[in-house]
Amino acid sequence: MIPLESLTSCFQGLIPAWLCTCSRDGVPNVAILSHVDYVDSRHVALSFQFFNKSKRNVSENPKAMVRLYDPDTMQVYALRLRFVRTETEGPLFESMRLRIEAIASYSGLKGIFRLLGADVYEVLSVEPVEHEAGLLALAAARGPRSAQPSGVPFTMKALQELSERIHRAPTLDCLLDAILETLESIFGFRHSMILLASDRPERLETIASRGYREGGVGSEVGFGEGIIGMVAEARKPIRISGMLRQLVYADAVAKRAQLSGLSPDAQRIPLPGLPNPESQLGIPLLVRDELIGVLCIETDTSYRFHEEDRAYLEVLGGYLAIAIQNALLRERAEEAEPLPPRPGAPQPSAEVRPRIELTHYRSDECILVDGEYLVRSLPAKILWKILNERQASGQSEFTNRLLRLDKSLGLPAFKDNLESRLILLRRRLEQRCPEIRIVQSGRGRFRLELSGEVALAERP
Amino acid sequence: MPPASSTPPISDPLACFLEHGLSITVATRDDELQPDGATAWAALVDGDRTHLTVFLYEKAVPPVLRNLEQHSEIAVLFDRPTEHRACQLKGRFVSSRPGRAAERSQVERQVEAFREELEAIGIPRAMTAGWSYWPCVAIRFRVERLFEQTPGPGAGEPMR
Repeated sequence: MIPLESLTSCFQGLIPAWLCTCSRDGVPNVAILSHVDYVDSRHVALSFQFFNKSKRNVSENPKAMVRLYDPDTMQVYALRLRFVRTETEGPLFESMRLRIEAIASYSGLKGIFRLLGADVYEVLSVEPVEHEAGLLALAAARGPRSAQPSGVPFTMKALQELSERIHRAPTLDCLLDAILETLESIFGFRHSMILLASDRPERLETIASRGYREGGVGSEVGFGEGIIGMVAEARKPIRISGMLRQLVYADAVAKRAQLSGLSPDAQRIPLPGLPNPESQLGIPLLVRDELIGVLCIETDTSYRFHEEDRAYLEVLGGYLAIAIQNALLRERAEEAEPLPPRPGAPQPSAEVRPRIELTHYRSDECILVDGEYLVRSLPAKILWKILNERQASGQSEFTNRLLRLDKSLGLPAFKDNLESRLILLRRRLEQRCPEIRIVQSGRGRFRLELSGEVALAERP
Repeated sequence: MPPASSTPPISDPLACFLEHGLSITVATRDDELQPDGATAWAALVDGDRTHLTVFLYEKAVPPVLRNLEQHSEIAVLFDRPTEHRACQLKGRFVSSRPGRAAERSQVERQVEAFREELEAIGIPRAMTAGWSYWPCVAIRFRVERLFEQTPGPGAGEPMR
């Protein structure tokens, strides 16, 4: 029998699989499958999402057949199966559930498009369907593959280089950029973002990104929303390949749900990052049990993430989480010392406006610049406070310690995320309001610089 | 069982869908109730709107016919990949014969439409260039029941 391990690509769900079953009274049935998961060398699992004919058939006659496609060659494989059991909890169920719910949340289908069980089947035989190969002669010439190697060079040398760059980063700000730069230069991940816990409960905010036309700093994701929100909620990595195909499948379910009187959310959550990512990998950044944030890597090319990538990045995520938390703790220690300028920070350009107006909306806790949204929540409170102090007393140097002591900001006594809020504020200003700059002048201190006239207006 | 009403089971819009050029999977079963599946490359609805002919590559046919000659139950799933609109037709095998030269252009048209569907969801043409579909064998069956098969709630229910 062809080893199941050699069919890794087939288990990514890029091409629909087909499940053939037969009732006890001899009537065959075919159904489309959203996913076939590898369990071990003798078993696969199929997602059980709706009570349907296939489910009834295998309950009375456990014999089944699955037709799987290799997405690299379009070679078809026929797997003869015997239904063994349905799992409704445990690691297999959880891993399948998270992937399905991440897709569901993109389509407003949370609660409708969900996993009821992981149906485990014993694999009795695996045969290539010789006359069904898509790529001319290639599949036949190549034969079944050995376990597919990772496309990502997770070598000791690469990991050492990443480690060195992390250790060299003098501030949290530099560290975040160093992580994303390294993911691209060493590992080839061109589109990535880091989201850290927001000051609002169960929300994450993008604090650093790489490879996108719009930086997206400050964009928010709620727990449970999309792949990033699901990673945060479950604190487990999620890998999705073939997003387009799976969203087409979920859209088909959404239409059926509407016809059946169920109502998918009207509001579809926009995908953060690439407009049409083909593969996404979300990794929780955990220190012990605390969620620091989420690292999301995606691609719109034919490259696909493999299980090995997920495993390596999960380990790497733990390391990055510790590095980020250490940087946060170090900056809180507020050892005032000079720092080198942050590379890559934009300097004020000729496009600086001679006069800008900032409006603070107290009830919404947000600031608009010349009528355009700039920032909200704690970063907005901080900006408003320092701009007013500069206007009132000419003060331009501030320390994190003084901000912590200011009760009007309402920072919690423990783990206030002030440093990450300041990074977010500085990056939002660089993108949306270069006339105002927050320049780190030492560990735990910064300087407010203005170009041109800044008018402040307060609204209820 | 055939439908009680005298209305032919396949409506004109459904016939149009079935002949569009779709992913077509044929399921049969053996003596031991072991199901088997094969790809069909085209479908043609009879004028009586009750019979359907599916076209399979000749090398795929022996196990299918071996099953059908013993057990006439057949299920055929049609799926449009760009939207996953799908339906399943179940019925009884009637006959088989080699595909006729005059039918080849119809089979090729449907294969081409299916390739276009796959291209639209990111499967490039090079990936489907090696498909073998001619010579074909035509398998004709009487349609007795139709089922909605679009994934989601209601999948598997009789079509209305």
